[in-house]
Amino acid sequence: MKKLSVLLCIVAIITGFSMCRKAETFNDDGYDERLSGGGLATVFDATSKAFTHAVDGLSGRDAHVQKAGDVAFEQTFVSSPAPIFGGLGPIFNNVSCISCHHNDGKGTPTAGDARSSLLFRISTLGANEHGGPAPMPGYGGQIQDQALQGVTPEARISIAYTDVAVTYPDGTITHLRKPTYTMQSLYTPVTGACNLSPRLAPPVFGLGLLATIQEGTILAFIDENDADGDGISGKANYVYNPQTKQTELGRFGLKANTSTIAVQVATAYQQDMGVTSSIQPQKSCYGQSQMNAKDLNAAPDLPDSTLNAVIFYIKTLAVPARRDVLDPTVKRGQQLFAQLNCSGCHKPTIQTGVDMTLPSASNQRIHPYTDLLLHDMGDDLADNYTDFLATGKEWRTMPLWGIGLFEKTNGTPYYLHDGRARTIEEAILWHGGEADKAKNNFIQLSKTDRDAVITFLKSL
Amino acid sequence: MKNKVILLAAAGLLSLAACNKKDDNNGSATTDFNTLKTKVLADFTNNVAVAGYSDLKTSADDLYAKLQTLNNSATDANLSAARDAWKKMRGTWEQCEGFLFGPVEDNDYDPNMDTWPTDYNQMDSLMANASAFTVADVQNYTLSLRGYHPIEYVIFGKDGNKTAADLTAKEKEYMMALAEDLKNTCTSLYSSWSAAPENYAQQVITAGAGSTKYTKKQDVYLAIIGGMMDICEEVGTSKMKDPYDAYLTEPALAAFLVESPYAGTSIADFKNNLIGLQNVYLGTYNGKSGLGLKDLVAAKNKSLDNNIQTKIAVAVSSFDNITLPYGQAIAAQRTQIQATMAALDDLKNTLENDLEPFIKTNITD
Repeated sequence: MKKLSVLLCIVAIITGFSMCRKAETFNDDGYDERLSGGGLATVFDATSKAFTHAVDGLSGRDAHVQKAGDVAFEQTFVSSPAPIFGGLGPIFNNVSCISCHHNDGKGTPTAGDARSSLLFRISTLGANEHGGPAPMPGYGGQIQDQALQGVTPEARISIAYTDVAVTYPDGTITHLRKPTYTMQSLYTPVTGACNLSPRLAPPVFGLGLLATIQEGTILAFIDENDADGDGISGKANYVYNPQTKQTELGRFGLKANTSTIAVQVATAYQQDMGVTSSIQPQKSCYGQSQMNAKDLNAAPDLPDSTLNAVIFYIKTLAVPARRDVLDPTVKRGQQLFAQLNCSGCHKPTIQTGVDMTLPSASNQRIHPYTDLLLHDMGDDLADNYTDFLATGKEWRTMPLWGIGLFEKTNGTPYYLHDGRARTIEEAILWHGGEADKAKNNFIQLSKTDRDAVITFLKSL
Repeated sequence: MKNKVILLAAAGLLSLAACNKKDDNNGSATTDFNTLKTKVLADFTNNVAVAGYSDLKTSADDLYAKLQTLNNSATDANLSAARDAWKKMRGTWEQCEGFLFGPVEDNDYDPNMDTWPTDYNQMDSLMANASAFTVADVQNYTLSLRGYHPIEYVIFGKDGNKTAADLTAKEKEYMMALAEDLKNTCTSLYSSWSAAPENYAQQVITAGAGSTKYTKKQDVYLAIIGGMMDICEEVGTSKMKDPYDAYLTEPALAAFLVESPYAGTSIADFKNNLIGLQNVYLGTYNGKSGLGLKDLVAAKNKSLDNNIQTKIAVAVSSFDNITLPYGQAIAAQRTQIQATMAALDDLKNTLENDLEPFIKTNITD
């Protein structure tokens, strides 16, 4: 009897403890699909600050540098001479990193004011000495549409939209807006052929992970002659790196026109703010008829310590975790995303390589939804601007991680390279070229299934 | 042996009881907690957020009126009244920084009115400029030429000792355009919470029950707590620490890192930021009081509530120990500054390690 009661008690204890275990329905392999940025670089925050968190496991010193980079990223620059944060302009697009990358996320598609996140690259025919876009005489490679007092901005860009209706087979009509960009108030006339390329500031998180993907992994996605016949080819961009003076695989920028985070950051300081650094020591007004000679031999505006802190900050921004991964509609949308072959370019899963300085980014299974390759996106999205090997119709596959949070991080969300799409649905409908087949298959879906695809994308 | 049986039986009961997630009094407390979750959001929105932005709008109107008077009659009495109005408005704004989420960030109202540093060269160049200032001009200026601090520069002067007679016609023109721009920004910010089309107050109040911004209540609670942690960190590790650290390496530049230097209100700014955080936690603001986060926490964990309230109070009162203007305190009162930064760090850690997990555990819808 005593033995029985002891036994019963033990059973009760075991039952009791086992009831504490919450029922969780993960995949059979136990993998947690929410970990978009892998085990150490995923953050569970779905608020407007979702893109602003550091990866796990930074040492005390690294955390200090990360924080310094965070502060510098938000720092407003002023005109020189100034005791602190001088070097702005004299021509520029904005006054701080955060002015364009709101909440470290995507920006607002206006140009030339304090909230604007849209800038325009400019080129003329041919190529520069490194195979990049040929600068427009008097303008360089980018239009700086703001300037210090007493200086004329290079130009203003007027943005106009016209309505384009798309009708689904079930009769539903969705309206797209097609942008037209016109240069106005030019400080000096442009000469010869002129190509403009609009670029909306993209989110800046997760880049450390993308930087760590091995080249071979990216190159293996190439199918330039479309041997598998799915209509998708994919092409690598090879670009000049002003820091290493080498030609390297491009992975950042909307046309994969930059090879490293360091160059991306230094070039943004130089071109967007007029702030020089050791990597980009020349003022953005160089070559301007207005103020060509100014400050050419001055010491860099940005000390290396600040530049490096910002580079490290960008490298160590974590990716937000997915939400609602077990929701049946999300699951259905995920299946359709694969069936439509959206995943032909928006690769759901990639394994990163190793960077000894970034353990959080090394050897991680991540879900960036990009192949980092260039694809022909059709005439409607074309800007006719050649950027190293990227043609006027080619754009780099945009990573989709975090896309479901744009409404939170940005107030009003905008999508695509120039923010013309106001919803994810509009963005899908703009796809053309290599994505034509996937888009047409999407259009053929029932309303329920189309909504499921979008619900899935909002879970990213 | 019998003792062992009793012990085991007790352990068995305990293990079962440990799993019982409901409150002891058969779920009625759970219902109360559910009601509380909704009411705290409504009270925060009405008593703290909307009330704060409403005050901000009123004080922007008042500052405009006082500057207008100064513009019409440049007497030292009018200058002094304008300075008081500036300081009062600044205090309200710094308290509103205790909840920096929603339109204030999404629509860039914050950088449009509170960007630091100011740009001396460009301000001086503007005020030497012959053309007239309009509010439309100011809206097109870069951020460092808009908002509180350029107004501060004009009415206090670089060293804080400007007299009414020093004000030039151009300065007054710039000042009026700035004040009108600031008034517009504050009106838009208030409307974004209180009126259609944005009606952010409604988005917060209906979180998890129809809100399009917050499909779960947990999301908005995390945004609120995120705002508290952010301001704690901003004051402790940026606004105070940057000049404090810089003093050791570049003493000549350190004072330039201090915000609101012309008016000398830096410490009041910092303290008001923390009072703003306290308002959010307690659900009180300027005489109004209702339910706050404290009620949610106390319902489940009174000792955590006590702990948080104490730490907030310690942090808020610690600012009173810094008696010199901050630009001087970084040299002469380093111990006091260090104590405040430690109190802020301690508070931030409690918010991060105790309050945030509390919310995540107890508010899942």
